[in-house]
Amino acid sequence: MKRGILIFILAALVLIASGFWIFSLKSNLDFRELISVPIILLIVLFAVFIGIKRIKSMKRGQPAEDELSKKVLIRTASLSYYVSIYWWLVLGFFSDKLTLENHTLIGIGILGMAVIYALSWIFFNYWGLKDE
Amino acid sequence: MNNRIKEFRARYDLTQDDLARKVNVRRETIVFLEKNKYNPSLKLAFDLAQVFSVPIEELFIFEGE
Repeated sequence: MKRGILIFILAALVLIASGFWIFSLKSNLDFRELISVPIILLIVLFAVFIGIKRIKSMKRGQPAEDELSKKVLIRTASLSYYVSIYWWLVLGFFSDKLTLENHTLIGIGILGMAVIYALSWIFFNYWGLKDE
Repeated sequence: MNNRIKEFRARYDLTQDDLARKVNVRRETIVFLEKNKYNPSLKLAFDLAQVFSVPIEELFIFEGE
């Protein structure tokens, strides 16, 4: 239950921080910022979805985590780490060609990692772990 | 590896939720098992066999490579 609540608290903190960031912008949102906002919202929605799943499981009298969910998390972490290495390589390659500031590049890298993690989780959660 | 969980569950008139509660897993895990998308741990396999009062090899069918 504590972890379920923690997910909602983290999601709320991300939303609040993003809100502050958007309102602190002096000019209108540029293209990069316009892309970042929906990605952040998607990641928050993903976290809320997982939190709701955990709470529903507990309300049904079932554990929030079991052997399958733990294995899915382990496989998700390993795949997303592997793919993220390539993601940073691609960013490193394009950083010379694009005129991005360092903090923007790091932000894109971190957002990309979060998206890769979410996609990996969806992959294992819907395709299963048949050969485990 | 195939299994007959769905068949036994119907025989015992259990829902996926009931079975999940009996073996202390989430309903999603039972769904994955029935769709053959997940091979359970030895403990979970024994727990399931115990719920249906059958030997483990009657519930899970190993087909080799």
